[in-house]
Amino acid sequence: MQKIAAHIQFPAYLWRAIYMNLKRLLLLLHKEFLLEFRQRYAISGIVLYVLSMVFVVYISSIKVQAQVWNILFWLIVLFASINAVVKSFVQESGARQLYYYQLTDPVSLILAKILYNTLLLLVLSLLAFASYSLVAGNPVKDPSLFALVLLLGSFGFSIAFTFISSIAARANQSATLMAILSFPVILPILLTLVRLSAIALRLIQDTSYQRDIINLLAIDTILITLTFVLFPYIWKD
Amino acid sequence: MHRFLTIILFMAIYLPGVWAQGNRDFMRETGKINVVVGVILLIFIGIVWFLLRIERKLTKLEHQLKEEQQ
Amino acid sequence: MWWKALSVVLVVYSLLAGMLAPLKPGITRTNPETAKSGQTVTVQVFGYNSFYTRSAANELRVWLEYDSLHALAGQDIKILSDTSLEASFLFPPDLPNASTSVLLNAILDHPKDGVSLLPGAFELVKNTDTAAVAGSGAWNRNPVGDLHVIKDFTFPYRNVIYESIRNTYYHVPMWFALMFLFLASVISSARYLRNPTLENDRRASAYAETGLFFGLMGLVTGMLWAHYAWGRAWSNDIKQLMTAVALLIYFAYFILRRSFDEPEKGARLAAVYNIFAFASLIPLLYIVPRMFASLHPGATGNPAFGSQDLDNTMRLVFYPAIIGWTLLGFWMAQLRIRYQRLEDRVMDLE
Repeated sequence: MQKIAAHIQFPAYLWRAIYMNLKRLLLLLHKEFLLEFRQRYAISGIVLYVLSMVFVVYISSIKVQAQVWNILFWLIVLFASINAVVKSFVQESGARQLYYYQLTDPVSLILAKILYNTLLLLVLSLLAFASYSLVAGNPVKDPSLFALVLLLGSFGFSIAFTFISSIAARANQSATLMAILSFPVILPILLTLVRLSAIALRLIQDTSYQRDIINLLAIDTILITLTFVLFPYIWKD
Repeated sequence: MHRFLTIILFMAIYLPGVWAQGNRDFMRETGKINVVVGVILLIFIGIVWFLLRIERKLTKLEHQLKEEQQ
Repeated sequence: MWWKALSVVLVVYSLLAGMLAPLKPGITRTNPETAKSGQTVTVQVFGYNSFYTRSAANELRVWLEYDSLHALAGQDIKILSDTSLEASFLFPPDLPNASTSVLLNAILDHPKDGVSLLPGAFELVKNTDTAAVAGSGAWNRNPVGDLHVIKDFTFPYRNVIYESIRNTYYHVPMWFALMFLFLASVISSARYLRNPTLENDRRASAYAETGLFFGLMGLVTGMLWAHYAWGRAWSNDIKQLMTAVALLIYFAYFILRRSFDEPEKGARLAAVYNIFAFASLIPLLYIVPRMFASLHPGATGNPAFGSQDLDNTMRLVFYPAIIGWTLLGFWMAQLRIRYQRLEDRVMDLE
């Protein structure tokens, strides 16, 4: 091992490039957080959205079966995610986008946005889970699997919605278009998520759920690779 | 376009049921061969619909060209 | 031009061969369909597409089979007509296993027609009244053998779907044409991104539109077939759902194309969406259906057909039908492209 390691020596400029890119990524991430913090009403709006949806579920059906719990939970997360992510490109004016265009490259920009949205969606889905299990009970039998599903779900939703919102932001009626465009793309992820969380709720007995997780990771990998390849074409204007 | 499709679907699924009145089922007798006939008919109607759309567009284009030349 | 001629030849061949070749003989039902063990029963067997009178009664053989170790041969076979015959069975007092009833397969061997089979045709119930048991027969060990396998151009006989097995040559190729056309659309979109010409955009949208047409045809013909094979036109089968979603993607594609003021921008963003959505269509059509039960053949673990669903004779019609319909689809798409090219030129004139 040591022999091999001695042969592989990263040249100094490569380290420098990685360092610069990471620094740029962190700066962009920092910018996203700053932006969110300045527009606190937007994030509070999404939080209120989640809470009111949970409340609607609560008042319309007091006792929720585990199967219904599963589907309703993912619907709440899905709609909250669309509303949370749609603003990530729409809110930025053309002048500011031109400014970013001069400052950075498209791949780090979309990566920063995807990472930021993943964190945002993870927090949102945890919030949805906490409030929802408070009013409708907590049927989760396998918490570690459920947490993994939430993480993978936030990542998948974040990639698909961020990319679609970058397309929809260029069009005239972006909110409607966002829903139309993202629904078919998100469906394979959503179906796999519902199935995996059903396993975490012990609604389905399946010991080979690792395959579903690999499927989900494969879908995420395909989507994020395509995002990196295709985003520069959306970006140039 | 959508109305056209709805009518075709309605015909394909409910008309055979109407014919089936009186103890004989048009689509199910003789080994369900009429299901195959129905499928081929549907594809044929679909292709004619495709042709009609191109025909209509071409007619419009011809009119445009004629106006251009005048 | 040669491929247009080829498409016509192949489609006509699939129509002729698919409609004219007969089905293999089969067994539709038996009468009675159930009996108690330890009795002697005369069972009438009804055939489909069969020609029992073409050979003598002593050349015909009938069995009721449980597995390769438990079977009963029919005796005193009487041919009533081309499609019905009688045989008497001496049922043994005991069942092949410990349960109260078993389902037996009916197997018939005819020297000219060949073998026909109906799985689970006959139910044998355990006779609890031991006094009434005559105890005449016994299970034969593997008597089913020496069968006549006839090799001719016939399609397999399947219970419930009968002649509509021929729809394999007309409904299924719609999906293949759809996949090839969508693939061509995605390739054109990728080309457009590298080389943004009007021609590449025209190709992408025309292929997508023709693919959409074949998708609608596949959905409508599938619904008709499903109504008579599964009992319901729409049974929320995962393949039906997935196809509906695939069509939604391309409806969204066309809405996206038209929602921009500048056509160049719309063409570029639609091309990007086309590639992105097609990539998510692949897990949709091939990974996800494996997770759910489906009424379609080859549902569990295999997106294609198994050897159970497609025999060698069917392949001889099925593969040419796929090639023929796909080429026909490209022909139709080419008409759309040529029309669009003309329209763009007329627009330039004005």
